[in-house]
Amino acid sequence: MARITLDKVSRLYGSGSVGVHEVSLDVADGEFLILLGPSGCGKSTTLRMIAGLEETTSGRIHIGGRDVTDLRPRDRNLAVVFQSYALYPTMTVRANIGFGLKMRGMPTAEIAQRVDQAAHLLGLFPYLDRKPAALSGGQRQRVALGRAIVREPEAFLLDEPLSNLDAQLRAEMRAELVRLHRSLGRTILHVTHDQVEAMTMGDRICILRGGRVEQVGAPLEVYANPSNMFVARFLASPPMNFLPARLVAVDGLSLDLAPGLLWPVPATHLAAWAGHAGSAVMLGLRPEDVHSQGAPGRIPLDLQVTAVEALGPETIVTGFLSAAPGLPPLRVRLGRGRLPLLGQTLDLHADLLPAHLFDRVTEAVIPRPRLDATP
Amino acid sequence: MSGMAGPAGRGGQVALHLGLILACAAILLPILWVTRVAVVPASMSYSPGVLPDLSSENFDALFSGRFPRSYLNSLLVAGGSVMLAMPFAVTLGYAFARFGTGGPGARFAVLATQMLPPVALVLPAFAILRTAGLTDNLAGLILVYATLNLPFLTWIMMGFFKGIPVELEWAALSDGATAWQAFRIVVLPTALPGMAAAGVLGFILSWNEFLFALVLSGPRTATIPVALAGLQTSNGVEIGTVAAGVVLAVLPLIVASRFIQRFIVEGLTFGAVK
Repeated sequence: MARITLDKVSRLYGSGSVGVHEVSLDVADGEFLILLGPSGCGKSTTLRMIAGLEETTSGRIHIGGRDVTDLRPRDRNLAVVFQSYALYPTMTVRANIGFGLKMRGMPTAEIAQRVDQAAHLLGLFPYLDRKPAALSGGQRQRVALGRAIVREPEAFLLDEPLSNLDAQLRAEMRAELVRLHRSLGRTILHVTHDQVEAMTMGDRICILRGGRVEQVGAPLEVYANPSNMFVARFLASPPMNFLPARLVAVDGLSLDLAPGLLWPVPATHLAAWAGHAGSAVMLGLRPEDVHSQGAPGRIPLDLQVTAVEALGPETIVTGFLSAAPGLPPLRVRLGRGRLPLLGQTLDLHADLLPAHLFDRVTEAVIPRPRLDATP
Repeated sequence: MSGMAGPAGRGGQVALHLGLILACAAILLPILWVTRVAVVPASMSYSPGVLPDLSSENFDALFSGRFPRSYLNSLLVAGGSVMLAMPFAVTLGYAFARFGTGGPGARFAVLATQMLPPVALVLPAFAILRTAGLTDNLAGLILVYATLNLPFLTWIMMGFFKGIPVELEWAALSDGATAWQAFRIVVLPTALPGMAAAGVLGFILSWNEFLFALVLSGPRTATIPVALAGLQTSNGVEIGTVAAGVVLAVLPLIVASRFIQRFIVEGLTFGAVK
């Protein structure tokens, strides 16, 4: 059993700065959890505290029911893979992979057998007698994984292991890591700042900011129901659009975006948002919720195009609302069939059903009825 | 590069190479001259001509005297002092680099000892060695050279350890190594090129040292610089013999610099870790 529990874990530095502030987290046995956040948010520090490589200032860490807070790294039986891979440069691939077993005093014959097994699994067999310097980036990455796997640790801690790889290799390794997780069935904590990794790999995401947990949940759940503006902004690319508005009691309930620009609130959300009538809010609208086609309930809008990014499968268009040029620019996601010209005015339709409202002061979400994805 | 093929480029090339030839000559001529003086008969040391005659007489004179003994002394003292200082330099450098032991103050205090003029240290050193009965003793010289070179070697090692990513140690620690094992099995072998470079530099410093050797050694324990200085007699400088001694004294340094070049280059390729 390798359930990992953090109980109000903090890391303070001598200078008084806070690395991690009272993080509580419960990672189930066999779970694949993503620690996501911008650089400096404390995700790597949290990982290192779990590994025992960084001192825990306060709080307790349990692994498999055992309090490991004060244990040395070697007594925690965890395997760590670093962004730089940290392969031992003076040792061969074979010695690198077998190092952990040797340190634990395993007989040489058994080490050789286990190293061969791991090498086969990761396609490293032809390179066993090379030094790390003679390997490509992808191969080094595999050696680092091999070094972790062969020890059969209670859990794997991965610190941005894919960020030094090129895009294609990264996509392959994403799939490979997920496959490994399924076959090994061990707990994995994976630190990343990459939203694609976060959305596609983990059972759950834990989003950190400034050393604090912002939200924990299944990827789609967090995407569909962000708890605040930071999460909403961070978990997608291009990020969610934010338009300042005032909730007014006109036509039931409407969003007053600018003089003369009133967007009616969907009937399903009336009850949930009615209590906030009169307050200053932020409308959160994802780029994919603005469409070319009109439909019942969608709000027509004119977008004056200022930038076009044709990505191939889709085109990201940035522009201003013609009716309210003073509002922040809006980014929308259009199909690949459309390639607007700069300065052109597009006739688009906003779907407010999946949109969010946030309190403009606290940046917290104002809850609305949940929308569940259908198979 | 293509511009260099034109006439203007060719003129520049000629000027550049003339400059380089002059610079090389300024460095090489004294060495070539010393070599020439060493291999011609003593009577022709100052005579004109590139190589008027060849003779081993200067070397014979050198080897009949105390020079072989001094040569051995220098090897023992330079080698011994490096071997004595290195373990301290390595552990101190590692502590400074990884743990910031003692803060920046301690690091600079170590370096500050290097800023005193050697003359200020030679008398205290003599007094200490005399009390310990270590004057005119190779062990005494080894001890003093190790002490003198320790700050410098520590700083070199600190630089090399700073270049080794801390993740290597983290990986070793989570792989089950103790802190000492991580240092010994992972960090030290990675720092080997740095240790070789520092060792060779320390060796050269001790090899060339004159002042302390002059004060602290006797006829039996003189090192090469002291022995060569001793060739300045009341009959004048035995220039041929001195030249022969210089040629022999420079040889190990040439070998050492070849080594140090290779190791420093290796030391700079830690990028292989990434």
